Amino acid sequence: MSERPFFVGYVGLPRGSRGFAAALAVVLVLGAGLLATMVARSVDDPGPGAFRFDLGPQKVTGIVELTPAPVLHVTEGTSTIAPGHTLMLSGQGKNGALPRARALEGRLATASGILLTRGTLDMLQIGGGEAGLGPATGASAPALPAPEPLGRWALAGEICDGKCASGAMLPGLGIAHKACANLCILNGLPPVFVSTRPVAGASFLLIAGTAEAPMPPELYDWVGEYVTLEGLVRRHGDLLVLTVDPATLERAP
Amino acid sequence: MSAAAAILALVRTWLWIGAGVAALFLTIGIGRIDANARNAFVFRTLLVPGILLIWPLVLWRWWCIERGSPWIARYRPPSAHGAAAVAMAILVLAALGLSLGARQDWPAGFEPRRLADAAP
Repeated sequence: MSERPFFVGYVGLPRGSRGFAAALAVVLVLGAGLLATMVARSVDDPGPGAFRFDLGPQKVTGIVELTPAPVLHVTEGTSTIAPGHTLMLSGQGKNGALPRARALEGRLATASGILLTRGTLDMLQIGGGEAGLGPATGASAPALPAPEPLGRWALAGEICDGKCASGAMLPGLGIAHKACANLCILNGLPPVFVSTRPVAGASFLLIAGTAEAPMPPELYDWVGEYVTLEGLVRRHGDLLVLTVDPATLERAP
Repeated sequence: MSAAAAILALVRTWLWIGAGVAALFLTIGIGRIDANARNAFVFRTLLVPGILLIWPLVLWRWWCIERGSPWIARYRPPSAHGAAAVAMAILVLAALGLSLGARQDWPAGFEPRRLADAAP
């Protein structure tokens, strides 16, 4: 039988182990505190984005446009959503609204759901069925607002999915959110570029996709990283839409 | 078969074999190798999840003890445990340090520039 002291919780601490236990306790408390401080200081502020359940369900009417991410040019709003505003639309969870919006392209539609907001970025998560998104009755659709070209721009910032960035997730931005953002965009949620500084008055730009994909496939590897890029900017209603030139994408210094 | 399907099939097979080992060990084996487990049955269900995962180790221990190996050897950890613990601690700290070092800073100073006006 060994004579080395051996700690068993219910019989008390052996005299020979007391110094070691005290030193270990101090090291663990200080080490855990130091580690927690380092990790906490390295985390960015997740921002003020949130589901706005406090505003209640929002029901708006507008014209559907596809970029191919669906947006709604609001013609009849609510006390929160003014007519003339351009709303991005999403489905529940990680589902985009494109399959439901495709049949309504260019038509007047009624959308109902919960608003997400983060500063000037907002999005409507529509409910299920035609009550969530369906054709408006009794009115003919006004013409879609003509896109206004704003030229070619050099920008810096981050590509992310618009739903998480506007408050569905905290954090909804950054490298820790990369996989989630890619899954969201692959499922048709609107991809968004967050610019370092406002571009023609807006810090958030909807990224235009292709006929086949919600976002050009070359962009997926850059999601969640800080990048510089060039692209064409157009104004659709009060929303800026960015067509990225993938050849110009670079990691920000 | 895709890699994901192959991994799922492997996991499913592993767990089914573990279920078989759990059924055998908990009904026949445990009473043969541990006198304290005889006539005690309720606690055996608590062992099922563990046996599903580490059934090769269970089979090996069962075989060793049936052969008459000294029972105390079951409790002697492999000698590499200490080195593995130190290596894992170093790896965790290294991963933390490297990830903090590779972190990008938000390019706050970058001013958007219009390169060309809109095409007419």
